[in-house]
Amino acid sequence: MDTSSPAAFVNGGLLRMHVGRKVRAVIQVTRSDVGSVMGKSTDNRQLVVKGTPPVPLTSYVEVIGVAENDNSIQAEIWTNFGDTFDASSYDQLCQLANGEFKHLFL
Amino acid sequence: MFSSSQIDASVFSGGGFMPSQPSQLANSTPSPARSRDTQGLISVTVKQISEASQSGDEKSNFVIDGVDVTNVKVVGTVFNKNVRSSDIRFHLDDGTGRVECIRWVTENLDTREMDALEDGTYVRVNGHLQSFQGKKQLSAFSVRPVTNFDEVTCHFIECIHQHLQHSKVQSQGGGLSQPQMADSSLNTPVRGASNGYQPALMNDLSIQYSADGLKGFDKLVLNYLQQPSNIGREMGVHVDELSQQLKAPMEKIKDAIEFLEKEGLVYSSIDDYHYKAVEGC
Repeated sequence: MDTSSPAAFVNGGLLRMHVGRKVRAVIQVTRSDVGSVMGKSTDNRQLVVKGTPPVPLTSYVEVIGVAENDNSIQAEIWTNFGDTFDASSYDQLCQLANGEFKHLFL
Repeated sequence: MFSSSQIDASVFSGGGFMPSQPSQLANSTPSPARSRDTQGLISVTVKQISEASQSGDEKSNFVIDGVDVTNVKVVGTVFNKNVRSSDIRFHLDDGTGRVECIRWVTENLDTREMDALEDGTYVRVNGHLQSFQGKKQLSAFSVRPVTNFDEVTCHFIECIHQHLQHSKVQSQGGGLSQPQMADSSLNTPVRGASNGYQPALMNDLSIQYSADGLKGFDKLVLNYLQQPSNIGREMGVHVDELSQQLKAPMEKIKDAIEFLEKEGLVYSSIDDYHYKAVEGC
């Protein structure tokens, strides 16, 4: 049983609450370069994710890593989430998981 | 000929319906933390598992949110997969923590199912929560890869939903028929942009379901239409006005109107957007 290093569900707006800590986010990829990926968070903010994305990369990808600042994540784990994904539901989940129901997650 | 005074309840004793015992129907209302052998599957986060307390009885069940828990569902990624002769062990990381899972392997089907799962794969695990040497573990009877990632979102929302249901029952002391609520959430399919499910969770937290069959919100709509000033309006009330006055989205208003219309409590007046309450109800 290990609950150390939980990753907080974040969207663009919530990222700033967890700077320096482990986070998880789903982004829609807009541009993919060597060493970093630019994408849209589930609340439509631009985020930069640094690291080595998987190849091939699907439209939606979940990244788990450390929040560097309020718009960039240093990702350790990348998971392709496919080309279709319900971003608005995920966004609402982020809000619930950081708000009223934080105790179920962190 | 029988006169009416000769026919009383004793004539019917010994079988058949006993009109004076309506409480027979209600005796299946369970108490909140009643331990049952056939417990449903509860969606939980690993954090919730780590905080689960052990229930006192011999069955050595766990208690989460006041409810006896035996079987749980978790969704997360596989780590440290370890294939042994009689079982396959791995840790499941769902972002809130890690829990050890054991899949007992009895036939080739089990091994094949587990072969496909590499470290880092997202899986859904259904299993029995156990304690071994002081540590909580999951004895998995089903480990399946996630293919549609909306399932991840859906699982965590289910965790929140069931947590709310169980907590509500706890504070009300068993007033709601809690198991039915839990089961209906288990039947919720994984949907895409399912507007019907998510907003309901957000908006309905403050609206209690009344016991007399009319949901709280439908009642609000009906009450508004039944106000004397609105009954008196020949043209009826426009749905936009309902939406504004009750501060609710049009979808909700339309649903309520549809329901009330079916029940014969309201009717459309000059067009499909104007409604009036049926008088004399």
